[in-house]
Amino acid sequence: MTTLRKTAIGALLAASTMLTALPASAETLTFVSWMKDEPGYGDWWNEIIAEFEETHPGTTINMSRVSRAEYADTMFTMFAGGNPPDIVHLAAFEFQPFANEGWMEPLDARIAEEGIDLSNWAGQTTCEWEGETVCIMLLYTGFVLAYNEKIFADAGIPVPTDWDSYLHAARELRQDTDGDGILDQYGIALPFDDPASVMQEAQNFVLDTGGAWTLDGEPAFDRPEVVEGLARYKQLFTENLTPKELSSADVRQLLLEGRLAMTVDGGWINNTFRSAAPEVQQHLKITQSPFSPPLGGTSNVLGMPSDISEEKKELVWDFIALTASEKYQQRFAEWAKTPAPRPGLDYSELMAENPSFEVLAKAAADAAAANVDRLPKGLELENNEVVKVFYKVAQQMILQDLDPAEAAKRLQEQVSRIKD
Amino acid sequence: MIPTIDFSAPRHRAKFGYLLLAPAVLLMAVIIVYPILLSVSISMQDVRIARIGDSGEPWTLENYQWLFGSGETWHALWVTFKLVAVVGGLSVIIGFATAMLVNQKFRGRAAARLFVALPWAVPEVVATVIWAWMLDSSFGLVNWVLLTSGLVSEPIAFGSNPTAAFAAVCFVMIWKGYPLMSIMLLAGLQSIPEEQYQAAKVDGAGVWQRFWYITLPNMLPVVGVTMVMTTLWVFRDFAIIHVLTQGGPLGATTTLSILTFEQSFEFFRMGQGAAVGVLTMVLCAIISRALVGRMAKSVH
Repeated sequence: MTTLRKTAIGALLAASTMLTALPASAETLTFVSWMKDEPGYGDWWNEIIAEFEETHPGTTINMSRVSRAEYADTMFTMFAGGNPPDIVHLAAFEFQPFANEGWMEPLDARIAEEGIDLSNWAGQTTCEWEGETVCIMLLYTGFVLAYNEKIFADAGIPVPTDWDSYLHAARELRQDTDGDGILDQYGIALPFDDPASVMQEAQNFVLDTGGAWTLDGEPAFDRPEVVEGLARYKQLFTENLTPKELSSADVRQLLLEGRLAMTVDGGWINNTFRSAAPEVQQHLKITQSPFSPPLGGTSNVLGMPSDISEEKKELVWDFIALTASEKYQQRFAEWAKTPAPRPGLDYSELMAENPSFEVLAKAAADAAAANVDRLPKGLELENNEVVKVFYKVAQQMILQDLDPAEAAKRLQEQVSRIKD
Repeated sequence: MIPTIDFSAPRHRAKFGYLLLAPAVLLMAVIIVYPILLSVSISMQDVRIARIGDSGEPWTLENYQWLFGSGETWHALWVTFKLVAVVGGLSVIIGFATAMLVNQKFRGRAAARLFVALPWAVPEVVATVIWAWMLDSSFGLVNWVLLTSGLVSEPIAFGSNPTAAFAAVCFVMIWKGYPLMSIMLLAGLQSIPEEQYQAAKVDGAGVWQRFWYITLPNMLPVVGVTMVMTTLWVFRDFAIIHVLTQGGPLGATTTLSILTFEQSFEFFRMGQGAAVGVLTMVLCAIISRALVGRMAKSVH
């Protein structure tokens, strides 16, 4: 009996010692992303997580998905409630309010210690907030023209290379193909459902006419070039060349179903082609945007919250460094079929097997060279309000026939008021 | 020595009641009163993002100055009242009509009651997403039916025409909201003593007279409660509008709840969002008090 008691006490002591030691090495990092399970991007994250867990025994990453539509709200609630995810993944246009609150950990010291040279990373300057680097840019994309080669060939119309040919194709390719009185094929389709997409779409035309939303960080909506760009944008709606209630996802879906001739979209469009049926997929191609300079933009960023423990910060930094490594930047390009932000990667194989890749690389380089970003410089913190104001004015222009010059004037007034 | 209280004594009987109520009151204070006080506190701070546990900013009336000086607030208030009037009014009328219908004795009454209650059983977001698909102006079923039947010559832009969007929101809210009214009013109808109708018949009262002098007065307290419930539901409903129109187009469906969300979670101006929330709460309290009091008194 005594022996049994001694054995039991010994076992209990051993178990309690093991349990006490376990938390020191076993750690779970939470990671929320809208990309989980997305073909391409999701696979890339899975590879990084697998390697991280292998090289950090006892540490696991718990990745969960929140859809893009409610992503910012969810992250906002998590941060405001004092329970942010350990690995912070945000869109490049939405991290600024988080950084402004001091919720994002400055990374400069860790970047210097790791020896990462971010000076030529595409779009990395967007990650600087009040002189500090608070994130790593994961994607900077140039916009390209995705088109259905068969629709153009059947109509005998060349793929557009400028505004005039774009407008011509949009007019000619809008058809009722089965003769039931309902249009079932569009030359173009512009999103008009989501404020951010509407402003982004209009920016294509504004850039092409030499305009920009801001100049030196100040609103420049009332400049003649912007008015001309807005007039072109409005014309596409007033001529009924595009349906009026589509989201970006609807537009992509129309292209994948073979019911849309062309759309100007980010490099990620290349990755969506794999969702199309084979009979459509074989006709989907990518070429340079007909607008110059092409729209470009920072897409998403990776960082860490400022109020997690130092131990966790070390682990999260290891994870961030792994995503920024040459190996995983190269893998990003392979999985996402779009250039990675890290400079100096070898894309020769990718270009050889996928001609679209060269187009995407050139579009990103052209947009970066022209210093173009979807996010208006100087309005980062107020971006959501600016986007909403733009959406309302765009609706007034298109649904209530507001003159583009008056629209530009209203935008200038309202955005200036928000900025002040 | 521990003092004892004889709760059976008349002067201590009330204390025992309070003691029994204490846990529930404390729980309510934690889950209802605390968030309300927190909202009021945030609404009086010039803060973009409030964080629980932070010491907070000094109190100011800036957010209320914005609230009452902003055209957005008055517009949202107008839209909310329009929505309450249309949805509340029609929901109660349709709910009353269907309740009276399924209160009759006929073959298939159980199935009819089930069909009346069905929209209420479908989760709100799921139902709204389905309606959003059906009301899509380019590819939706509703427009396809209207076009192919020749009722309209071009698709109705439910998402981009302000009047059509408001009508679409009203329609979906009524579709979702009337079953609850119907169920509550049916319960009220079943509680009216049959003898009153029999006596009225003996006195020669017709169908309309029986409805006007027996059904309606007996039903007024129930109608009052249902009206309060509908009003509060329309005031605070967010999901249907957010999924269908996100408050657009051109603010045609921007209610106070949408404005609260927009200010707090889209523009990260939680102080202003909380101020809109407090205004909504005060309005709801006033309307509820007025409706319940008036309807309850009118029966007597």
